[in-house]
Amino acid sequence: MRQPILPIAPKVSQYGIDPSLVKARAAELPGMTSLLIKDMFPDTPDVIFPAEGGLAAIRKATEEALANIDMSRIKPEHSVNILASHHGFTLLGGEPYAEMLKTIRDFVAARTGASNIRLRAGVGLRFRETEEYIKRYGLDVHFQGKAAGVAPVDQGIAIETEIGTLYGIKKVYDADWIIHAHNSDVREVHFHRQVDRAVKPFGMSYARIETRSTYHQNLGPRAANFTARAIFDSTFVQSKFAFSAFLVMSPGGVVGVDADNNLYALNDRLTYTGCRYYGKTMTLLGEIDECIAVLDFPCPVPYVFAAGVIYANFVGANTDLYDLDKPLPPYTWYTEAFYGKNGRPLLSEIPLVNPAIKMCVQNYAWGGYPSAFFAEQIPTVVVGREQAEMMNRDPQNLTYMKHSVVADTIGDAMKFAYRTAGTDKVIVFDGAMGGLNVSEKLADLLIKKAPEVNRRVEEQLLPKWLKQRGMAP
Amino acid sequence: MKVVTLVPRVDSEKCTGCKTCERVCPVLAIKVSNKVSMVDEDRCRGCANCEQRCPEYAIVMVNRESPVTVKVDVDQVAYDQIAQLCKKARLNPQQLVCYCTATRAEEVAAAILLGAKSPEDVSLSTGVRTGCKVECIQPVLRLLEAAGIQPVPPKNGWQWYGRTPTVWEIPEEIKKKYSTRGFYFEEDIKLLDKLVEVGPDERRDD
Repeated sequence: MRQPILPIAPKVSQYGIDPSLVKARAAELPGMTSLLIKDMFPDTPDVIFPAEGGLAAIRKATEEALANIDMSRIKPEHSVNILASHHGFTLLGGEPYAEMLKTIRDFVAARTGASNIRLRAGVGLRFRETEEYIKRYGLDVHFQGKAAGVAPVDQGIAIETEIGTLYGIKKVYDADWIIHAHNSDVREVHFHRQVDRAVKPFGMSYARIETRSTYHQNLGPRAANFTARAIFDSTFVQSKFAFSAFLVMSPGGVVGVDADNNLYALNDRLTYTGCRYYGKTMTLLGEIDECIAVLDFPCPVPYVFAAGVIYANFVGANTDLYDLDKPLPPYTWYTEAFYGKNGRPLLSEIPLVNPAIKMCVQNYAWGGYPSAFFAEQIPTVVVGREQAEMMNRDPQNLTYMKHSVVADTIGDAMKFAYRTAGTDKVIVFDGAMGGLNVSEKLADLLIKKAPEVNRRVEEQLLPKWLKQRGMAP
Repeated sequence: MKVVTLVPRVDSEKCTGCKTCERVCPVLAIKVSNKVSMVDEDRCRGCANCEQRCPEYAIVMVNRESPVTVKVDVDQVAYDQIAQLCKKARLNPQQLVCYCTATRAEEVAAAILLGAKSPEDVSLSTGVRTGCKVECIQPVLRLLEAAGIQPVPPKNGWQWYGRTPTVWEIPEEIKKKYSTRGFYFEEDIKLLDKLVEVGPDERRDD
């Protein structure tokens, strides 16, 4: 059995506890081992990060991807906004995404002669999150003081679309040109269902509250993704759009960088790899029959990573999240909204959360995202009174601790979990690069199940998923 | 319903009176007077928008001495009126409209039927829009519109701009044009219509 992979280190952030309070990591628990994505799925593409080339490989891949991009419309006197999102900084420590952003700036400046190049970094529900990343990764210095975090409550701008008026963040669009700099990590597949994944930030991290509420409240779980397309296709956005550059991810790490003047062409390429590679990991995690899930990563509860997949997806892994014929995953905001006062779903179409998760131990995760649903549905132990207090103070998690218990140490929490859950299968969401940390028992199960999952996805599921998205298998 | 536990403290030395806090406050509880932000603690719902967007980092959130509970009792209004208003807005009375405060459509409807005329009034009485501050503006605007109310956004504010399209309003040609690209408009309409129709006696109880 392999040694556990080093987990991502805790980060200083106003949304989490001080890293000094994280006394021990789940990967250090007795009986823990690790699996590489390649051990489970040998056809997973080779990665450029984490790898020997380090961040230099990201710079090189970005330069190569940008070499074929038409930037002729950007003139030296023009202003350019490079648009980024918080998600990218949660991948593999954040440095690869930051390096791609820096390289885009340098390349565009050198190729076009433009010097007024700004970074506009959007957020989710933690409005200062990208301000923290901008400082941590030296982006303020690299962009010569022209780097800013933007939030959905900032001043807006009306955007006329083919479905009506939607609203963007004014500062996102306050330049002659915009460059969409994102990543292909699957992340919230429960929301986007791998439909227009590459376009999503136009309806989310670049958008105002009205637009985001349209996505999560007005359109329905599968029509919602049209919000972003409507904005991106608008005359206003098209008049400013220069090109896109994406950090291409697989569950194993960074596969490369892709760039295109045609966002939909790029989107099609990412739809295929997203369904194929993340679909396998997701399907394999759905094979877990029972487990204790340990959260141990610097992100809010639903966003902690294992094998490139977030906890929110694991909560829905008992269903096929890619199958668009299934209207609602076990967790989305639409799903959560459709639970009645009795704590049960209002409709029979709503699947319950993954019954394999017998208990959740929150060793380290942030607030800043409404997470009470998880604690309501899954028995949860929070490690440390400081972390419990952090959740209690969070305006988005005022009831989270009403449904959780507190343990002083991770050792105490695990003792309780093993005894109460009655399983020694453990999966750790700690962002381990290139694989995942699990208990030996769970490692055995995953290795045994992986070949059949690989075959099922290739032969049955992938063709169906692609067809549902209008793509030839 | 929300238990308000926090309140902002303004550092008057750092505050420049830029009015960002005033423009983002969902309940109009902070105003700039004599170039310094002043907080109306009775109105404040502890959302921390002001603290999160202050460009000078002049605001911190502190615990209230005594938490305040804000809630509209749905029993104050005849339930058939609540149900009717929710249905008109194409919402089930029981569905959550605010994930952070676990506020259901019925409570927002009750607030409106009891006299709330704007998103600010609704937030003040129910606490919606004071958790994440992002996701629940549209159902509030839909319920106000269903009650025949056309609220006007706060002058010079960034609190909200307007109601946006719902899936029922997507033009037919758009639905047809994109039906093969993974956008399930008609199917989602059916799903949401079914949800709206679920009555109090038909709730799944397995």
